[in-house]
Amino acid sequence: MTVFSYISEFLRPSWIKTFFTVKTPPLVSPPYFRNFPTLTGKECTHCLTCKMICPSPGAIDVIQTAGVWNPQIIQGHCVRCGYCVEACPEGVLTSGDLLARKKEQGLIFTHEYIIKIDTDKCMGCGNCTTACPVNREIDPQIGAGGTSFSDKVLIRVEHGKNTVLHNELCKGCKTCMETCPNGAIHVIRNVVALQEEK
Amino acid sequence: MKKVVDVSIPIGPIHPCFKEPCRIKCETSGERVLTTEVELGYVKKGIEKIMVGRPWQETIFLAERVCGICSVVHNTAIVEALEEISGITVPRRAQILRIILNELDRIQSHLLANYSYCYTIEHETLAMYLLNLRETSMDAIEMMTGTRIMTAYVVPGGVREDLSDKNAAGILEATYTLETELKRFVKMFETGPMIALRSKGIGVLSVEDALASGVVGPTARANGLPRDAREPDPLYHELGWHMILRTESDNFARIMLRFQELFQSINIIRNGLAALEPGKIRNGGTMKAGKVKHTVEAPRGALTYDIEIDSAGQVVSVSIQTPSIPNIEVASHAMMKNLASIADVTSTFISADPCIACAER
Repeated sequence: MTVFSYISEFLRPSWIKTFFTVKTPPLVSPPYFRNFPTLTGKECTHCLTCKMICPSPGAIDVIQTAGVWNPQIIQGHCVRCGYCVEACPEGVLTSGDLLARKKEQGLIFTHEYIIKIDTDKCMGCGNCTTACPVNREIDPQIGAGGTSFSDKVLIRVEHGKNTVLHNELCKGCKTCMETCPNGAIHVIRNVVALQEEK
Repeated sequence: MKKVVDVSIPIGPIHPCFKEPCRIKCETSGERVLTTEVELGYVKKGIEKIMVGRPWQETIFLAERVCGICSVVHNTAIVEALEEISGITVPRRAQILRIILNELDRIQSHLLANYSYCYTIEHETLAMYLLNLRETSMDAIEMMTGTRIMTAYVVPGGVREDLSDKNAAGILEATYTLETELKRFVKMFETGPMIALRSKGIGVLSVEDALASGVVGPTARANGLPRDAREPDPLYHELGWHMILRTESDNFARIMLRFQELFQSINIIRNGLAALEPGKIRNGGTMKAGKVKHTVEAPRGALTYDIEIDSAGQVVSVSIQTPSIPNIEVASHAMMKNLASIADVTSTFISADPCIACAER
């Protein structure tokens, strides 16, 4: 019984064919393989959306060479998730057929920035408030201590504590995080995965 | 007269049978194994701690990297936990796509588990056949998501990409290849007399031990315990899922149960592809603060994410309870007790499908 089963196993036409014609298949990636993102040649507007959405620290950087801004992928850090491809509003990056699928199916990532202040750590020094580029544009006369008479600013110091007035104005530059001596302020990006109606 | 000696034999941390480093300490009396102990801690990653303070778009990638074999189910588990907290609904098409991907992942994980068992009992021909067949399911996953392992396919409110008709036909073709090949391999495993010698009646887990321990997944189902986290999901019942149980509770039963589940997964994928209707695949939705304990069925058993997030969607605390932890414990303390031969230690351990990367997340 066992002998017959072995004979029937090795007398299959597919087995014999494979046995005589076997060779290593060529290393070709299929067209849908999501490789490292590459440039499509479209103009980069230096909006930094790709850098903001990237889940891996230091995987993408937008650099200027000969007066032209372009994203650069650092391959040792990139996890090939393809978020930058989907998030880029200009279609500068592509990876596999992800860009084509994005256009075909209307896939988008939107994001908003949430400023979170740890009131226990905040000492109301106003460094973040004076450093914030949005604040300086709205109220150039902003006080050194972070106080402002304008109600339209993004953040200001009220009663010795930092207060967020207009969260929707935040551009996510994280300058406030860098200037805070206590690590009390955090800018969090909240990403939403959406599909556009066609 | 031969003298019976008591020896403590270490197996591992590096051993050809183990895919990952772990050490089994066996207390033996002659050839008989009295008791064993599994020592972990060689590849601790600390992912739970790294996750704290990060928003969802970063944590889902960290969750995938807990385990390289069942990465899809970790992604699904954390996203479903976040959806449960925030009250995000998922479109029906995206739900079915998630199930199809999870079943493809289950197929490749079960094939790898059965490959490593056949390799451990030195049936290398069948092992290589199964490993070769696993490539078919990996290619189907790549067809669907663009990558083979770290798919990043599931996002809160839906899935990343839609499945085109061409790729759906490719996946359907892959299921037919899998089914025809698997039928031959199962027959080889079931009727092989040498395989039966190494498998039947070895590593028997008694009902008392199984009930006392928290054994989950195929290891529990091979013992006749109906433990499957897919049971409460109505969509799984709609796609033709039913509980598969075996009662022999030895190594043979555990491997045969995985083979049977492979056929069921193939059936679910076909039903899922047939049930796909055109529609949206993403609903969006923002995170809300909350705490939840969410369980999904991984290829190895119930996987639980105990997660708490704040209003900005950042993780406050997370605890990942992987199915390999109880399964490794029950393998070391109950299954490998009183084994007749030291040669059966590795095969019994591998038959419980231990994943060291999952256990040391």
